[in-house]
Amino acid sequence: MADTPPFPSEVPVEGSELPGPYAVGEYAAALREKLRGFARVQLVGEVANLRPPTRARVYFELRDAGGAIACAMWRNDWDRLGALTATLADGAQVIVAGGCDYYPGSASASPAFSFSVSTLRVAGEGDLLAQIEQRRRALDADGLLERQRALPRALLPRTIGVVCGETGKAREDVLAGLARRGWAGRLVWAFTPVQDRHAAPLIGAALRELAASGEVEVIVVARGGGSLTDLLAFSDELLCRTVAMLPVPVIASIGHHTDRTLLDEVAAVSCSTPTHAAEEAVPLNCVDARLGLAVAARRLRDDARDGLIARARLLTALSRAPAAHVARHRRALHQSLRELRAASRRLAGDERARTLVRAGTLARCRDAAIRDCSVRRPAELERLRLALAAHDPERTLARGYALVEDAAGEPVTTAVAARAAGHLRLRFADDAVSASVEEG
Amino acid sequence: MSEEPPQSYEAAAARVEEIVRRLDSGQAGLRETLELVREGRALIEFCAGELDAVSGDLEELRLDELVARLESEHGGAA
Repeated sequence: MADTPPFPSEVPVEGSELPGPYAVGEYAAALREKLRGFARVQLVGEVANLRPPTRARVYFELRDAGGAIACAMWRNDWDRLGALTATLADGAQVIVAGGCDYYPGSASASPAFSFSVSTLRVAGEGDLLAQIEQRRRALDADGLLERQRALPRALLPRTIGVVCGETGKAREDVLAGLARRGWAGRLVWAFTPVQDRHAAPLIGAALRELAASGEVEVIVVARGGGSLTDLLAFSDELLCRTVAMLPVPVIASIGHHTDRTLLDEVAAVSCSTPTHAAEEAVPLNCVDARLGLAVAARRLRDDARDGLIARARLLTALSRAPAAHVARHRRALHQSLRELRAASRRLAGDERARTLVRAGTLARCRDAAIRDCSVRRPAELERLRLALAAHDPERTLARGYALVEDAAGEPVTTAVAARAAGHLRLRFADDAVSASVEEG
Repeated sequence: MSEEPPQSYEAAAARVEEIVRRLDSGQAGLRETLELVREGRALIEFCAGELDAVSGDLEELRLDELVARLESEHGGAA
Protein backbone atom coordinates (compact mmCIF):
# COMPACT_ATOMS: atom_id res chain seq x y z
CA MET A 1 0.00 0.00 0.00
CA ALA A 2 3.03 2.16 -0.43
CA ASP A 3 1.28 3.98 -3.27
CA THR A 4 -1.87 4.56 -1.21
CA PRO A 5 -2.31 8.25 -0.53
CA PRO A 6 -2.31 9.29 3.10
CA PHE A 7 -5.58 8.75 4.85
CA PRO A 8 -7.26 11.60 6.67
CA SER A 9 -6.82 9.71 9.94
CA GLU A 10 -3.11 9.39 9.51
CA VAL A 11 -1.31 10.54 12.60
CA PRO A 12 2.45 10.21 12.38
CA VAL A 13 4.01 7.95 14.98
CA GLU A 14 7.49 8.60 16.01
CA GLY A 15 9.96 5.73 16.06
CA SER A 16 8.63 3.88 12.95
CA GLU A 17 9.64 4.19 9.35
CA LEU A 18 6.30 2.74 8.15
CA PRO A 19 3.40 5.02 7.24
CA GLY A 20 0.28 5.03 9.39
CA PRO A 21 -1.30 4.14 11.61
CA TYR A 22 -4.51 4.24 9.59
CA ALA A 23 -8.02 3.66 10.78
CA VAL A 24 -8.76 0.03 9.85
CA GLY A 25 -12.11 0.80 8.24
CA GLU A 26 -10.57 3.35 5.98
CA TYR A 27 -7.76 0.88 5.09
CA ALA A 28 -10.28 -1.92 4.42
CA ALA A 29 -12.30 0.35 2.14
CA ALA A 30 -9.15 1.31 0.27
CA LEU A 31 -8.22 -2.38 -0.05
CA ARG A 32 -11.65 -3.14 -1.51
CA GLU A 33 -11.18 -0.42 -4.10
CA LYS A 34 -7.74 -1.76 -4.90
CA LEU A 35 -9.01 -5.33 -5.37
CA ARG A 36 -11.97 -4.19 -7.44
CA GLY A 37 -9.44 -2.49 -9.67
CA PHE A 38 -7.94 -5.87 -10.64
CA ALA A 39 -8.75 -7.05 -14.17
CA ARG A 40 -11.92 -9.09 -14.54
CA VAL A 41 -11.11 -12.66 -15.65
CA GLN A 42 -12.49 -16.18 -16.10
CA LEU A 43 -11.48 -18.97 -13.73
CA VAL A 44 -11.86 -22.72 -14.14
CA GLY A 45 -12.03 -25.16 -11.28
CA GLU A 46 -14.09 -27.57 -9.25
CA VAL A 47 -17.04 -26.37 -7.21
CA ALA A 48 -16.61 -27.09 -3.49
CA ASN A 49 -18.53 -26.17 -0.36
CA LEU A 50 -21.55 -24.94 -2.29
CA ARG A 51 -23.81 -23.55 0.39
CA PRO A 52 -27.58 -23.10 0.11
CA PRO A 53 -28.41 -19.69 -1.36
CA THR A 54 -29.22 -16.93 1.10
CA ARG A 55 -31.64 -14.21 0.32
CA ALA A 56 -28.97 -11.99 -1.23
CA ARG A 57 -25.91 -14.12 -2.03
CA VAL A 58 -24.69 -17.61 -2.99
CA TYR A 59 -21.32 -18.75 -1.65
CA PHE A 60 -19.02 -21.56 -2.82
CA GLU A 61 -15.38 -22.24 -3.46
CA LEU A 62 -13.50 -22.98 -6.64
CA ARG A 63 -10.62 -25.45 -6.27
CA ASP A 64 -8.01 -27.37 -8.13
CA ALA A 65 -4.81 -29.18 -7.18
CA GLY A 66 -2.90 -25.91 -6.95
CA GLY A 67 -5.22 -23.87 -4.75
CA ALA A 68 -8.68 -22.50 -4.07
CA ILE A 69 -10.53 -19.22 -4.01
CA ALA A 70 -13.75 -18.16 -2.29
CA CYS A 71 -16.53 -17.16 -4.66
CA ALA A 72 -19.78 -15.28 -4.18
CA MET A 73 -22.66 -14.54 -6.54
CA TRP A 74 -25.48 -12.11 -6.14
CA ARG A 75 -28.76 -13.95 -5.84
CA ASN A 76 -30.23 -12.38 -8.96
CA ASP A 77 -27.16 -13.45 -11.03
CA TRP A 78 -27.52 -16.94 -9.57
CA ASP A 79 -31.19 -17.14 -10.42
CA ARG A 80 -30.46 -16.15 -14.02
CA LEU A 81 -28.55 -19.45 -14.37
CA GLY A 82 -31.96 -21.15 -14.45
CA ALA A 83 -32.06 -24.98 -14.40
CA LEU A 84 -28.32 -25.20 -13.83
CA THR A 85 -28.73 -24.08 -10.23
CA ALA A 86 -30.75 -27.24 -9.49
CA THR A 87 -28.03 -29.62 -10.76
CA LEU A 88 -24.89 -27.75 -9.77
CA ALA A 89 -23.13 -29.59 -6.96
CA ASP A 90 -19.75 -30.03 -5.38
CA GLY A 91 -17.26 -31.61 -7.76
CA ALA A 92 -18.64 -29.94 -10.88
CA GLN A 93 -16.06 -28.42 -13.16
CA VAL A 94 -17.19 -24.85 -13.92
CA ILE A 95 -15.91 -21.72 -15.55
CA VAL A 96 -16.79 -18.49 -13.78
CA ALA A 97 -16.37 -14.87 -14.90
CA GLY A 98 -15.91 -11.97 -12.51
CA GLY A 99 -13.39 -10.08 -10.47
CA CYS A 100 -11.93 -9.68 -7.01
CA ASP A 101 -14.00 -8.09 -4.28
CA TYR A 102 -13.62 -7.49 -0.59
CA TYR A 103 -16.27 -7.05 2.07
CA PRO A 104 -14.62 -4.76 4.61
CA GLY A 105 -16.88 -5.83 7.45
CA SER A 106 -17.77 -3.54 10.30
CA ALA A 107 -17.57 -3.30 14.04
CA SER A 108 -20.05 -6.17 14.23
CA ALA A 109 -19.38 -8.08 10.96
CA SER A 110 -16.37 -10.09 9.86
CA PRO A 111 -14.56 -9.08 6.70
CA ALA A 112 -14.30 -11.47 3.77
CA PHE A 113 -12.48 -11.72 0.48
CA SER A 114 -14.34 -13.25 -2.45
CA PHE A 115 -14.20 -13.55 -6.18
CA SER A 116 -17.41 -11.89 -7.25
CA VAL A 117 -18.93 -14.16 -9.89
CA SER A 118 -21.20 -12.53 -12.42
CA THR A 119 -21.72 -15.58 -14.69
CA LEU A 120 -21.05 -19.29 -14.37
CA ARG A 121 -21.13 -22.21 -16.81
CA VAL A 122 -20.26 -25.88 -16.56
CA ALA A 123 -16.90 -26.54 -18.21
CA GLY A 124 -17.31 -28.22 -21.57
CA GLU A 125 -15.33 -31.18 -22.77
CA GLY A 126 -13.01 -28.89 -24.70
CA ASP A 127 -12.27 -26.91 -21.55
CA LEU A 128 -11.50 -30.06 -19.59
CA LEU A 129 -9.35 -31.55 -22.34
CA ALA A 130 -7.37 -28.32 -22.56
CA GLN A 131 -6.93 -28.42 -18.81
CA ILE A 132 -5.79 -32.06 -18.90
CA GLU A 133 -3.39 -31.33 -21.74
CA GLN A 134 -1.90 -28.50 -19.74
CA ARG A 135 -1.32 -30.87 -16.79
CA ARG A 136 0.11 -33.51 -19.09
CA ARG A 137 2.67 -31.03 -20.38
CA ALA A 138 3.59 -30.10 -16.83
CA LEU A 139 4.12 -33.79 -15.95
CA ASP A 140 6.09 -34.37 -19.13
CA ALA A 141 8.28 -31.34 -18.44
CA ASP A 142 9.12 -32.88 -15.05
CA GLY A 143 9.98 -36.20 -16.69
CA LEU A 144 7.15 -38.01 -14.90
CA LEU A 145 5.62 -39.76 -17.90
CA GLU A 146 8.46 -42.28 -18.23
CA ARG A 147 9.33 -43.16 -14.64
CA GLN A 148 6.79 -45.95 -14.18
CA ARG A 149 7.60 -47.52 -17.54
CA ALA A 150 11.21 -47.91 -16.47
CA LEU A 151 10.27 -50.01 -13.42
CA PRO A 152 10.96 -53.76 -13.64
CA ARG A 153 7.85 -55.92 -13.48
CA ALA A 154 7.70 -59.41 -11.96
CA LEU A 155 6.76 -62.20 -14.32
CA LEU A 156 4.97 -64.02 -11.52
CA PRO A 157 4.03 -61.73 -8.62
CA ARG A 158 2.89 -63.33 -5.41
CA THR A 159 0.92 -60.33 -4.15
CA ILE A 160 -1.07 -57.88 -6.25
CA GLY A 161 -2.77 -54.69 -5.08
CA VAL A 162 -5.98 -53.52 -6.71
CA VAL A 163 -7.50 -50.05 -6.35
CA CYS A 164 -11.09 -49.86 -7.55
CA GLY A 165 -14.64 -49.10 -6.48
CA GLU A 166 -16.09 -51.64 -4.09
CA THR A 167 -19.29 -52.16 -6.00
CA GLY A 168 -18.28 -51.67 -9.60
CA LYS A 169 -17.88 -54.30 -12.29
CA ALA A 170 -14.14 -53.62 -12.40
CA ARG A 171 -13.63 -55.86 -9.40
CA GLU A 172 -15.20 -58.87 -11.13
CA ASP A 173 -13.24 -58.17 -14.30
CA VAL A 174 -9.96 -58.14 -12.39
CA LEU A 175 -10.79 -61.50 -10.83
CA ALA A 176 -11.73 -62.89 -14.27
CA GLY A 177 -8.42 -61.72 -15.73
CA LEU A 178 -6.43 -63.33 -12.91
CA ALA A 179 -8.40 -66.57 -13.31
CA ARG A 180 -7.54 -66.59 -17.02
CA ARG A 181 -3.88 -66.50 -16.06
CA GLY A 182 -4.42 -69.38 -13.66
CA TRP A 183 -3.13 -67.12 -10.89
CA ALA A 184 -4.36 -67.52 -7.31
CA GLY A 185 -1.90 -65.65 -5.11
CA ARG A 186 -2.62 -62.95 -2.58
CA LEU A 187 -4.85 -60.07 -3.65
CA VAL A 188 -5.02 -56.87 -1.62
CA TRP A 189 -8.11 -54.77 -2.32
CA ALA A 190 -8.04 -51.03 -1.75
CA PHE A 191 -11.61 -49.85 -2.27
CA THR A 192 -11.93 -46.12 -2.88
CA PRO A 193 -14.37 -43.71 -4.49
CA VAL A 194 -13.65 -43.58 -8.20
CA GLN A 195 -15.56 -40.40 -8.99
CA ASP A 196 -16.05 -36.95 -7.47
CA ARG A 197 -13.62 -34.58 -5.88
CA HIS A 198 -12.77 -36.89 -2.96
CA ALA A 199 -11.65 -39.72 -5.22
CA ALA A 200 -8.22 -38.50 -6.29
CA PRO A 201 -6.73 -37.93 -2.81
CA LEU A 202 -8.13 -41.23 -1.53
CA ILE A 203 -6.84 -43.16 -4.55
CA GLY A 204 -3.45 -41.50 -4.06
CA ALA A 205 -3.43 -42.43 -0.36
CA ALA A 206 -4.37 -46.06 -1.14
CA LEU A 207 -1.59 -46.32 -3.72
CA ARG A 208 0.95 -44.92 -1.28
CA GLU A 209 -0.11 -47.37 1.43
CA LEU A 210 -0.02 -50.35 -0.91
CA ALA A 211 3.44 -49.43 -2.10
CA ALA A 212 4.66 -48.70 1.43
CA SER A 213 3.54 -52.13 2.65
CA GLY A 214 6.47 -53.64 0.76
CA GLU A 215 4.27 -56.65 0.02
CA VAL A 216 2.63 -55.89 -3.31
CA GLU A 217 4.72 -56.28 -6.45
CA VAL A 218 2.29 -54.61 -8.84
CA ILE A 219 -0.84 -52.47 -8.45
CA VAL A 220 -3.87 -52.41 -10.72
CA VAL A 221 -6.02 -49.26 -10.77
CA ALA A 222 -9.32 -50.06 -12.41
CA ARG A 223 -12.52 -48.21 -13.15
CA GLY A 224 -15.32 -48.78 -15.62
CA GLY A 225 -16.39 -46.34 -18.31
CA GLY A 226 -17.81 -42.87 -17.72
CA SER A 227 -17.94 -39.35 -19.05
CA LEU A 228 -14.90 -37.14 -19.18
CA THR A 229 -16.12 -35.41 -16.04
CA ASP A 230 -16.66 -38.74 -14.29
CA LEU A 231 -13.09 -39.77 -15.04
CA LEU A 232 -11.61 -36.40 -14.18
CA ALA A 233 -10.35 -37.65 -10.81
CA PHE A 234 -7.89 -39.86 -12.70
CA SER A 235 -6.42 -36.81 -14.40
CA ASP A 236 -5.75 -35.12 -11.09
CA GLU A 237 -2.26 -33.73 -11.23
CA LEU A 238 -1.35 -34.56 -7.66
CA LEU A 239 -2.55 -38.15 -8.04
CA CYS A 240 -0.57 -38.53 -11.25
CA ARG A 241 2.56 -37.17 -9.61
CA THR A 242 2.05 -39.66 -6.76
CA VAL A 243 1.75 -42.56 -9.21
CA ALA A 244 4.79 -41.43 -11.17
CA MET A 245 6.94 -41.46 -8.04
CA LEU A 246 5.77 -44.86 -6.74
CA PRO A 247 8.46 -47.56 -6.66
CA VAL A 248 5.85 -50.20 -7.53
CA PRO A 249 4.57 -50.51 -11.13
CA VAL A 250 0.98 -49.40 -11.64
CA ILE A 251 -1.23 -50.87 -14.35
CA ALA A 252 -4.10 -48.59 -15.24
CA SER A 253 -7.45 -49.44 -16.76
CA ILE A 254 -9.60 -46.35 -16.58
CA GLY A 255 -12.83 -46.16 -18.56
CA HIS A 256 -13.25 -47.64 -21.99
CA HIS A 257 -10.55 -47.97 -24.58
CA THR A 258 -11.49 -44.59 -26.08
CA ASP A 259 -11.05 -42.81 -22.76
CA ARG A 260 -7.64 -41.51 -21.96
CA THR A 261 -6.80 -40.04 -18.57
CA LEU A 262 -3.56 -38.66 -17.26
CA LEU A 263 -3.17 -41.73 -15.04
CA ASP A 264 -2.97 -43.82 -18.22
CA GLU A 265 -0.10 -41.59 -19.30
CA VAL A 266 1.98 -41.93 -16.15
CA ALA A 267 1.25 -45.60 -15.38
CA ALA A 268 3.69 -48.38 -16.29
CA VAL A 269 1.05 -49.91 -18.54
CA SER A 270 -2.35 -48.69 -19.72
CA CYS A 271 -4.98 -51.29 -20.58
CA SER A 272 -8.37 -51.01 -22.22
CA THR A 273 -10.19 -53.20 -19.68
CA PRO A 274 -9.68 -54.31 -16.07
CA THR A 275 -9.48 -57.90 -17.33
CA HIS A 276 -6.52 -57.03 -19.52
CA ALA A 277 -4.99 -55.04 -16.68
CA ALA A 278 -5.15 -58.11 -14.44
CA GLU A 279 -3.56 -60.24 -17.17
CA GLU A 280 -0.86 -57.61 -17.58
CA ALA A 281 -0.19 -57.74 -13.84
CA VAL A 282 0.64 -61.45 -14.22
CA PRO A 283 2.55 -61.69 -17.51
CA LEU A 284 3.07 -65.42 -17.02
CA ASN A 285 0.26 -67.82 -17.85
CA CYS A 286 0.58 -70.17 -14.91
CA VAL A 287 -1.03 -73.11 -16.70
CA ASP A 288 1.29 -72.80 -19.71
CA ALA A 289 4.24 -72.26 -17.39
CA ARG A 290 3.55 -75.57 -15.60
CA LEU A 291 3.47 -77.37 -18.94
CA GLY A 292 6.66 -75.60 -19.94
CA LEU A 293 8.37 -76.68 -16.73
CA ALA A 294 7.32 -80.28 -17.32
CA VAL A 295 8.76 -80.12 -20.84
CA ALA A 296 11.99 -78.60 -19.57
CA ALA A 297 12.29 -81.24 -16.85
CA ARG A 298 11.75 -84.00 -19.44
CA ARG A 299 14.36 -82.49 -21.72
CA LEU A 300 16.85 -82.29 -18.90
CA ARG A 301 16.18 -85.93 -18.02
CA ASP A 302 16.50 -86.99 -21.66
CA ASP A 303 19.64 -84.94 -22.15
CA ALA A 304 21.22 -86.51 -19.08
CA ARG A 305 20.24 -90.03 -20.18
CA ASP A 306 21.29 -89.47 -23.81
CA GLY A 307 24.58 -87.99 -22.67
CA LEU A 308 25.33 -90.96 -20.48
CA ILE A 309 24.30 -93.52 -23.10
CA ALA A 310 26.35 -91.81 -25.80
CA ARG A 311 29.40 -91.78 -23.60
CA ALA A 312 28.88 -95.38 -22.50
CA ARG A 313 28.75 -96.40 -26.15
CA LEU A 314 31.88 -94.45 -26.82
CA LEU A 315 33.68 -96.13 -23.93
CA THR A 316 32.54 -99.58 -25.09
CA ALA A 317 33.77 -98.84 -28.58
CA LEU A 318 37.07 -97.62 -27.19
CA SER A 319 37.49 -100.75 -25.07
CA ARG A 320 37.02 -102.92 -28.15
CA ALA A 321 39.30 -100.81 -30.22
CA PRO A 322 42.71 -102.62 -29.68
CA ALA A 323 41.35 -106.08 -30.69
CA ALA A 324 39.57 -104.60 -33.64
CA HIS A 325 42.74 -102.80 -34.58
CA VAL A 326 44.85 -106.00 -34.51
CA ALA A 327 42.22 -107.91 -36.48
CA ARG A 328 42.10 -105.14 -39.03
CA HIS A 329 45.86 -105.19 -39.41
CA ARG A 330 45.97 -109.00 -39.58
CA ARG A 331 43.45 -108.93 -42.41
CA ALA A 332 45.50 -106.28 -44.13
CA LEU A 333 48.70 -108.32 -43.74
CA HIS A 334 47.05 -111.46 -45.10
CA GLN A 335 45.83 -109.55 -48.05
CA SER A 336 49.30 -108.10 -48.63
CA LEU A 337 50.80 -111.59 -48.41
CA ARG A 338 48.34 -112.93 -50.93
CA GLU A 339 49.09 -110.10 -53.25
CA LEU A 340 52.82 -110.62 -52.78
CA ARG A 341 52.59 -114.31 -53.61
CA ALA A 342 50.52 -113.64 -56.67
CA ALA A 343 52.95 -110.98 -57.75
CA SER A 344 55.89 -113.35 -57.20
CA ARG A 345 54.23 -116.02 -59.29
CA ARG A 346 53.58 -113.55 -62.02
CA LEU A 347 57.17 -112.33 -61.81
CA ALA A 348 58.71 -115.86 -61.95
CA GLY A 349 56.58 -116.79 -64.95
CA ASP A 350 57.59 -113.67 -66.80
CA GLU A 351 61.25 -114.20 -65.96
CA ARG A 352 61.13 -117.82 -67.11
CA ALA A 353 59.63 -116.79 -70.42
CA ARG A 354 62.27 -114.11 -70.82
CA THR A 355 65.03 -116.67 -69.98
CA LEU A 356 63.74 -119.12 -72.56
CA VAL A 357 63.75 -116.40 -75.17
CA ARG A 358 67.28 -115.45 -74.17
CA ALA A 359 68.36 -119.18 -74.35
CA GLY A 360 66.91 -119.51 -77.83
CA THR A 361 68.72 -116.39 -78.89
CA LEU A 362 71.99 -117.67 -77.43
CA ALA A 363 71.55 -121.03 -79.17
CA ARG A 364 71.02 -119.23 -82.44
CA CYS A 365 74.13 -117.14 -81.79
CA ARG A 366 76.08 -120.25 -80.93
CA ASP A 367 75.03 -122.03 -84.12
CA ALA A 368 75.86 -118.95 -86.14
CA ALA A 369 79.29 -118.73 -84.49
CA ILE A 370 79.95 -122.38 -85.19
CA ARG A 371 78.99 -121.85 -88.77
CA ASP A 372 81.16 -118.77 -88.87
CA CYS A 373 84.25 -120.58 -87.56
CA SER A 374 83.90 -123.73 -89.60
CA VAL A 375 82.86 -122.44 -92.98
CA ARG A 376 82.71 -118.72 -93.49
CA ARG A 377 85.86 -117.71 -91.68
CA PRO A 378 88.26 -120.24 -93.38
CA ALA A 379 86.95 -119.21 -96.77
CA GLU A 380 87.39 -115.57 -95.94
CA LEU A 381 90.88 -116.29 -94.62
CA GLU A 382 91.89 -117.99 -97.80
CA ARG A 383 90.52 -115.12 -99.82
CA LEU A 384 92.53 -112.69 -97.77
CA ARG A 385 95.66 -114.85 -97.96
CA LEU A 386 95.43 -114.90 -101.71
CA ALA A 387 94.87 -111.16 -101.90
CA LEU A 388 97.79 -110.57 -99.60
CA ALA A 389 100.06 -112.91 -101.54
CA ALA A 390 99.24 -111.01 -104.68
CA HIS A 391 100.70 -107.89 -103.11
CA ASP A 392 103.86 -109.57 -101.60
CA PRO A 393 107.01 -107.63 -102.86
CA GLU A 394 108.95 -110.90 -102.72
CA ARG A 395 106.94 -112.14 -105.64
CA THR A 396 107.89 -108.96 -107.56
CA LEU A 397 111.60 -109.50 -106.72
CA ALA A 398 111.23 -113.06 -107.97
CA ARG A 399 110.15 -111.69 -111.30
CA GLY A 400 113.49 -109.72 -111.53
CA TYR A 401 112.74 -106.43 -109.86
CA ALA A 402 115.02 -105.00 -107.05
CA LEU A 403 114.02 -103.06 -103.98
CA VAL A 404 116.13 -99.93 -103.11
CA GLU A 405 116.56 -99.32 -99.39
CA ASP A 406 118.56 -96.82 -97.35
CA ALA A 407 120.98 -97.75 -94.60
CA ALA A 408 118.12 -98.02 -92.17
CA GLY A 409 116.26 -100.47 -94.40
CA GLU A 410 113.58 -97.99 -95.36
CA PRO A 411 112.48 -98.14 -99.03
CA VAL A 412 113.91 -95.37 -101.28
CA THR A 413 111.39 -94.65 -103.96
CA THR A 414 112.74 -91.46 -105.66
CA ALA A 415 116.01 -90.24 -107.21
CA VAL A 416 116.06 -87.29 -104.89
CA ALA A 417 115.82 -89.62 -101.90
CA ALA A 418 118.61 -91.81 -103.38
CA ARG A 419 120.94 -88.83 -103.80
CA ALA A 420 120.19 -87.72 -100.31
CA ALA A 421 120.87 -91.15 -98.88
CA GLY A 422 124.23 -91.53 -100.76
CA HIS A 423 124.66 -95.22 -99.80
CA LEU A 424 121.90 -97.58 -100.87
CA ARG A 425 121.19 -101.26 -100.56
CA LEU A 426 119.68 -103.12 -103.49
CA ARG A 427 117.76 -106.16 -102.53
CA PHE A 428 117.20 -108.85 -105.17
CA ALA A 429 115.19 -112.03 -104.85
CA ASP A 430 118.21 -114.14 -104.05
CA ASP A 431 120.34 -111.59 -102.06
CA ALA A 432 121.12 -107.89 -101.41
CA VAL A 433 124.11 -105.75 -102.51
CA SER A 434 125.42 -102.28 -101.42
CA ALA A 435 125.58 -99.39 -103.85
CA SER A 436 126.78 -95.78 -103.89
CA VAL A 437 125.22 -92.94 -105.79
CA GLU A 438 127.56 -91.37 -108.22
CA GLU A 439 126.53 -88.60 -110.51
CA GLY A 440 128.18 -88.81 -113.82
CA MET B 1 27.63 -73.16 -12.85
CA SER B 2 25.60 -70.69 -10.65
CA GLU B 3 25.40 -71.82 -7.01
CA GLU B 4 23.46 -68.73 -5.92
CA PRO B 5 19.74 -69.28 -5.38
CA PRO B 6 17.65 -67.59 -8.11
CA GLN B 7 16.28 -64.16 -7.34
CA SER B 8 13.04 -64.52 -9.25
CA TYR B 9 10.95 -66.85 -11.37
CA GLU B 10 12.01 -65.07 -14.56
CA ALA B 11 15.70 -65.35 -13.68
CA ALA B 12 15.31 -69.06 -12.92
CA ALA B 13 13.27 -69.72 -16.09
CA ALA B 14 15.80 -67.86 -18.21
CA ARG B 15 18.66 -69.92 -16.74
CA VAL B 16 16.78 -73.18 -17.42
CA GLU B 17 16.36 -72.10 -21.07
CA GLU B 18 20.08 -71.37 -21.21
CA ILE B 19 20.92 -74.78 -19.74
CA VAL B 20 18.66 -76.64 -22.18
CA ARG B 21 20.20 -74.74 -25.11
CA ARG B 22 23.68 -75.68 -23.92
CA LEU B 23 22.75 -79.33 -23.54
CA ASP B 24 21.01 -79.38 -26.93
CA SER B 25 24.16 -78.03 -28.55
CA GLY B 26 25.91 -81.29 -27.66
CA GLN B 27 29.06 -79.39 -26.76
CA ALA B 28 28.90 -80.03 -23.03
CA GLY B 29 31.20 -82.71 -21.70
CA LEU B 30 29.98 -85.45 -19.37
CA ARG B 31 30.91 -83.61 -16.19
CA GLU B 32 29.36 -80.34 -17.41
CA THR B 33 26.23 -82.19 -18.56
CA LEU B 34 25.74 -83.72 -15.14
CA GLU B 35 26.30 -80.37 -13.40
CA LEU B 36 23.93 -78.55 -15.74
CA VAL B 37 21.25 -81.19 -15.28
CA ARG B 38 21.61 -80.94 -11.51
CA GLU B 39 21.38 -77.12 -11.63
CA GLY B 40 18.45 -77.28 -14.05
CA ARG B 41 16.54 -79.64 -11.80
CA ALA B 42 17.03 -77.34 -8.81
CA LEU B 43 15.84 -74.34 -10.84
CA ILE B 44 12.78 -76.22 -12.08
CA GLU B 45 11.96 -77.12 -8.50
CA PHE B 46 12.27 -73.44 -7.56
CA CYS B 47 9.97 -72.41 -10.43
CA ALA B 48 7.47 -75.12 -9.52
CA GLY B 49 7.51 -73.80 -5.95
CA GLU B 50 6.81 -70.29 -7.17
CA LEU B 51 3.91 -71.56 -9.27
CA ASP B 52 2.60 -73.55 -6.32
CA ALA B 53 2.61 -70.35 -4.26
CA VAL B 54 0.07 -68.77 -6.63
CA SER B 55 -1.86 -71.88 -7.55
CA GLY B 56 -3.82 -72.74 -4.43
CA ASP B 57 -6.83 -70.76 -3.27
CA LEU B 58 -6.93 -67.07 -4.01
CA GLU B 59 -6.26 -65.14 -0.81
CA GLU B 60 -8.17 -61.87 -0.71
CA LEU B 61 -7.77 -59.21 1.93
CA ARG B 62 -8.41 -55.53 2.24
CA LEU B 63 -5.69 -52.95 2.46
CA ASP B 64 -6.53 -52.12 6.08
CA GLU B 65 -6.30 -55.82 6.96
CA LEU B 66 -2.88 -56.02 5.33
CA VAL B 67 -1.73 -52.94 7.18
CA ALA B 68 -3.04 -54.32 10.49
CA ARG B 69 -1.31 -57.64 9.86
CA LEU B 70 1.97 -55.96 9.04
CA GLU B 71 1.71 -53.74 12.10
CA SER B 72 1.06 -56.73 14.35
CA GLU B 73 3.98 -58.60 12.78
CA HIS B 74 6.29 -55.64 13.35
CA GLY B 75 4.87 -55.20 16.84
CA GLY B 76 5.47 -58.91 17.54
CA ALA B 77 8.96 -58.66 16.14
CA ALA B 78 9.66 -55.65 18.29
